Amino acid sequence: MNRKHLALLLLAGCAFVPQLEAQIRHVEMRVEGMT
Amino acid sequence: MKQHLQRQSGVANVDVSLIDGKVEVTPKEDGQIDPAGLLKATYDSGVSVAELDMTATGKIVKDTSGNLSLQVKPNQSFVISPNELSNGLEPLVDSATVVTVRGQLYKKPVGKQNKADASAPLKLLILEVKKE
Repeated sequence: MNRKHLALLLLAGCAFVPQLEAQIRHVEMRVEGMT
Repeated sequence: MKQHLQRQSGVANVDVSLIDGKVEVTPKEDGQIDPAGLLKATYDSGVSVAELDMTATGKIVKDTSGNLSLQVKPNQSFVISPNELSNGLEPLVDSATVVTVRGQLYKKPVGKQNKADASAPLKLLILEVKKE
């Protein structure tokens, strides 16, 4: 039973980690007509 | 323009360089920034965008039409324009691997007849795949 819980915890952890890391980190624009 | 951009959701900081016409947008930590919204806000402020590049981390997926896409949030992904670098990302489709890429999302069309259309869907042209 403990092993099953541990496996489930690991699976849940794997599912969440990539989602937390994924994001837009930086945006850069080159613009014209700015005064 | 700076105020227009800073009002956009997910924007932490906007840095404008008047000398070289460069605008750098730093997203909030864990915030969801919308590049199309940034383009629109810039146009609305009366400034024309020549180019928009972004650096993003996400998973490589295929959308319902079979296009290679970079998914940065469950509800936010960018279709990738095919090039040599994007071909190298094919093996990562639907894997748990996250990848950081720098790419061009928008470039003003060349020529007088091709008017820039900020409402057109943005496609990501991969310029660099960063090693983490």
